[in-house]
Amino acid sequence: MIAFTKNTDAKIAIRHPWPVRVWHWINALAVTLSLVTGLLIFNIHPRLYWGEDGHAGMPAILSLSSTDPNTKTPHFDLQVGSHHWDVTGFMGLIDNEGSDQYTLIAAPPVDFQFGATRIWHFAAAWILVSAWLIYGLYLALAGRCARVLWPTREDRTFRNLKHELKQHVLLKRARGVAAERYNLLQKFSYLVVVTLLIPMLILSGLTQSNSVTAVFPDLFALFGGRQSARSIHFIVAGALLAFILIHVFQVFVAGFFNSMRSIITGRYVTPGEKSI
Amino acid sequence: MTTSESRRTLLGTLASTALVAACGRLDQTAPASALLDLTDRFTLRMQRLLLAQRPLVRELSIADISAHFPTNGTVAPKGDLYRKLVENDFRDWRLRIDGLVEQPLALSPAQIRALPSRTQITMHNCDEGWSAIGQWTGVQLARLLDICRPKMNARYVVFHCLDTQEADGNPYYESIDMLDAVHPQTILAYDMNGSTLPIGHGAPLRLRVELQIGYKNAKYVDRIELVDRLSTIGKGRGGWWEDFERAPWYAGQ
Repeated sequence: MIAFTKNTDAKIAIRHPWPVRVWHWINALAVTLSLVTGLLIFNIHPRLYWGEDGHAGMPAILSLSSTDPNTKTPHFDLQVGSHHWDVTGFMGLIDNEGSDQYTLIAAPPVDFQFGATRIWHFAAAWILVSAWLIYGLYLALAGRCARVLWPTREDRTFRNLKHELKQHVLLKRARGVAAERYNLLQKFSYLVVVTLLIPMLILSGLTQSNSVTAVFPDLFALFGGRQSARSIHFIVAGALLAFILIHVFQVFVAGFFNSMRSIITGRYVTPGEKSI
Repeated sequence: MTTSESRRTLLGTLASTALVAACGRLDQTAPASALLDLTDRFTLRMQRLLLAQRPLVRELSIADISAHFPTNGTVAPKGDLYRKLVENDFRDWRLRIDGLVEQPLALSPAQIRALPSRTQITMHNCDEGWSAIGQWTGVQLARLLDICRPKMNARYVVFHCLDTQEADGNPYYESIDMLDAVHPQTILAYDMNGSTLPIGHGAPLRLRVELQIGYKNAKYVDRIELVDRLSTIGKGRGGWWEDFERAPWYAGQ
């Protein structure tokens, strides 16, 4: 039924202005570094708590542990609230010699330095925060938020939502004028990332700093305690990772080469309306 | 869960393996090393800017004190010297203060306790991620500095400790600069939660530098040395964690 014919209605559009492209790639780098170093930091104490204090021996809202680290084949337990899952095979353990006799997917390198890992995390954070502030300024000054990111009246109809959900579920590419603009779900997810996830990551990160909370002790109240802030930091990071995975998946759905060209050079080939 | 166990527990992701390995190698290269130094200097500058008014960290109430306060790092220094000090309840032990001072000191526990004290209930935040709330009583470092009178060129306060790190046998030490040394909440604690500081938490004396996190709060403090530079001590980065794990020297973040 689907015929891959020569696309005669195709035209080249300028899709991403240069500040958006620069911001995207700076973010790609900073977010990747943040997530990898963040994961290593989580590994050091893989337990999340709620409230002010929290440490080994206190109840955790989420924890990862080995049920019997002294045996040759330990089992791994993921706890979330009162639920437990055996995650042996997904999450692993290495012994003190760095031997890989147990199942593991990722392990710190032998010359892993925890202190350096934290500095890398802060380096990424400084880049992320600066880029976010400049991007926010650009959104406001260029009027881009209202023009490009905020859902239009047409976007906000039930009919459109139904149509878009169907398109997404069927993994259909947008065509014609629809391909030149962000769709409702795209707009929604970008707005959530820019106005909710990134600010929450920044604030919950800052709430873990002795210096910052010495000056702004109200941050503790905002998150319900330092350990709550730490937990929220990791949970929101997980949400950001979920966004990135879907985002990258959509790049393939929308057409890998066309999407990559548009986010590097800005030029985007709009598929014609009647090509299929 | 013990610390070593939690350190060995790993959450795996497919993407991170190669990147993590790359980061480990990268740290050793000159540009990466320079980037780490740059980040650290920038982070320190921003914190100094933020802390220009020298605020106090939040102090909590007795009801907030953690039922259990984990011990971390060294929990009992090895060797005959420390064992003998413990056997004698530290009566023979003296806190030495020397280096760039007009008046070197050797204070007995009784002499330290006779000085005016400060009690504070604060949250201890480990760089591993956990927190615990404890009450600390001790002498403000500023008071000791008043007595020993630092020379004009003294810039840093180095804390030499009675313990060695299990990992490599090197002696534990830490350092702060004069600005944090004279902060009202920077104390040398001899009591914790209303009783004598336990061995696991650094008896006879532990530094509490509340503006900074866990590893800066050196336990088993034995000797305080005032210096004009850190480069001649240890491997030159200002502390065991700084030297061997490249932890940030200023750790308010």
